[in-house]
Amino acid sequence: MSLRTAPPGRQADRARTASVDRTRRIRSRRRTRTADLMIAACWASVALAVSLYLAYGGLSEVTDLASGLTAVGIVTGLVGTDLILVMLVLAARIPAIDRVVGQDVAMAFHRQLGKPALYLILAHGVLLTIGYAMTDGSNIVALTIVFFQGSDMALGYLGLGLLVAVVVTSVVAVRRRFSYEAWHLIHLLSYVAVLTALPHQLSASGVLAEGTLQRGYWIGLYVLAFGAIAVFRFAVPIVRSARHGIRVSAVEQLAPGVVSIHLSGQGLDRLQTAGGQYAIWRFWTGTTWWHAHPISFSAVPTARSARITVRDLGRGSAAVGRVRPGTRVSIEGPYGIFTDAHRVAPRMAVVAAGIGITPVRSLLEHSDLRPGEATVVLRGGDLGETYLWNEIGELPSMRGNTVFSVMGPRPRGLGTWLSAEALARGVTITSVFPALRESDLYVCGPQSWADLVIRDARAAGLPAAQIHVERFDW
Amino acid sequence: MRTRAVALSILSSAAVLAVGWQLGEQGRVQDVASAASTSTQVSAPTATPTPSSTADSGTAASGTAAASGSSAAAATATPTPSTAAGVSGTFTGAVSSTRFGDVQVSITVADGTITDVTALKLTDKEQKSVSISNRAAPVLRQEVLAAQSAQVKSVSGATYTSDAYLTSLQSALDQAGL
Repeated sequence: MSLRTAPPGRQADRARTASVDRTRRIRSRRRTRTADLMIAACWASVALAVSLYLAYGGLSEVTDLASGLTAVGIVTGLVGTDLILVMLVLAARIPAIDRVVGQDVAMAFHRQLGKPALYLILAHGVLLTIGYAMTDGSNIVALTIVFFQGSDMALGYLGLGLLVAVVVTSVVAVRRRFSYEAWHLIHLLSYVAVLTALPHQLSASGVLAEGTLQRGYWIGLYVLAFGAIAVFRFAVPIVRSARHGIRVSAVEQLAPGVVSIHLSGQGLDRLQTAGGQYAIWRFWTGTTWWHAHPISFSAVPTARSARITVRDLGRGSAAVGRVRPGTRVSIEGPYGIFTDAHRVAPRMAVVAAGIGITPVRSLLEHSDLRPGEATVVLRGGDLGETYLWNEIGELPSMRGNTVFSVMGPRPRGLGTWLSAEALARGVTITSVFPALRESDLYVCGPQSWADLVIRDARAAGLPAAQIHVERFDW
Repeated sequence: MRTRAVALSILSSAAVLAVGWQLGEQGRVQDVASAASTSTQVSAPTATPTPSSTADSGTAASGTAAASGSSAAAATATPTPSTAAGVSGTFTGAVSSTRFGDVQVSITVADGTITDVTALKLTDKEQKSVSISNRAAPVLRQEVLAAQSAQVKSVSGATYTSDAYLTSLQSALDQAGL
């Protein structure tokens, strides 16, 4: 899509730069506005959950400690469930959310909500049991047994149990003891947990009684959350995979453990993949079909072909390297905001390490760069980590732009993203990127390494909005 | 989080809470009003004025089932329609249904005065409803006997039971012509 006017005069060039900058500013402003609205919508939904109770006239029922506990119990249940539904929406990989804040940010928010939601739901159960017991003058154990006898309530307890299992297995320390697949399978139970909790909400709750607006809204929330999951995680990927008929056309070994997988299919350009994006791939062979892999595009897809490059970071991705040509592939995506469309500054500074070269390669391919606009630093531990490096210099957009390579191991016991040798020469982030403050910084590589690059960039005064990171921590 | 996001969140949440609170306040006023007014909400008028146990009063209801829970029924049920003050007998209110079960009350009237209110049916779906009913019924009975009408406050925490109780009561009162 690069449209290059033949020898651009200095004036025309300046005008073009100004208009590109304006477009970027407008886009960036629109994105932050949408992000702010999304955040506000999240909190408003929490407030609305409380409001359901207020509108029901709940406050008038609070007269003593028992009814107070009951009221708080009802509200924690409403808010907790609302948060879980928000979590489902965040995990639904909705394109609108991905475009604005990116899946990473959405999932980070999703993880943050997990524990508060669980605590609220636990408080809901405990407070209501105590509140009811105090009102009745009966004891808590007896009341709990009575609750278990009601079928809707028993389902509610089942949902609570599942929820505890899901959150406990998701806490990082515990998660390490499970394989990703086992953890993911348990995580899917959260859908069941939320659904089993629904009957007791609709039958036992006065707030959500039949014929009330509250009930309509609440069911609407459920439909929205589960609808988003059904559409964006199931329907769209299935239709897309069927329509494009993607198959492996060749597997190219680039280095030990690193392969480029060439794909063929119909109308792949209609996926509208931006350089720097990734998709979640599933290779339909006997040993790999059950594992979906997020892998970046290493080249912008054409109508009939696409290329992705992967390094075996886990058992699953090692098996991917052994798929044969002809294997059917399904796609979910493309996703990601590591793209040219998310730039905000007039210049571009790019750092890639190891397999992080993959999205950087397609990002640069897709960027329409002026000579001198971009500076690229490629970082490799040894000669085995220089795959795709040769392609970077050959990209048409890289004409007149600089590519540095920083090779060699990091110094021991020192937190730096550079090599020992470069550090000894006095290389810093500002020496390689003299115009860093007016640049968009794109960083892609292992998480701990990328964090060090960001630390240096922030120390040099680069605003967070100008930093774009693609992490490989799956 | 950006300041604007925080501001937007606070503003929208506050607005939502204010509207909810307002609706709750309005609803409470309406609740009391509807519970205390007429018997228009009665779902199935099954008024069956039964002869009072104290048959010697002579003014017991004749046993004709009233077609509707209106004052017309009271007129046929009472031999002395001219002075409502003299009505005596037992009058059974219509069944009022709630999502927690049916509610039906009967009143005992002696010489135009409500002397007793008996709950024939109370909300009983789930253990919780039973306990709420058992708590609310005596309170409501006391208040009705004191007020001599259905114009009493509903018991907090037992809104459904109270509303249905008072609705059924009103239909019984209508039959008695009180």
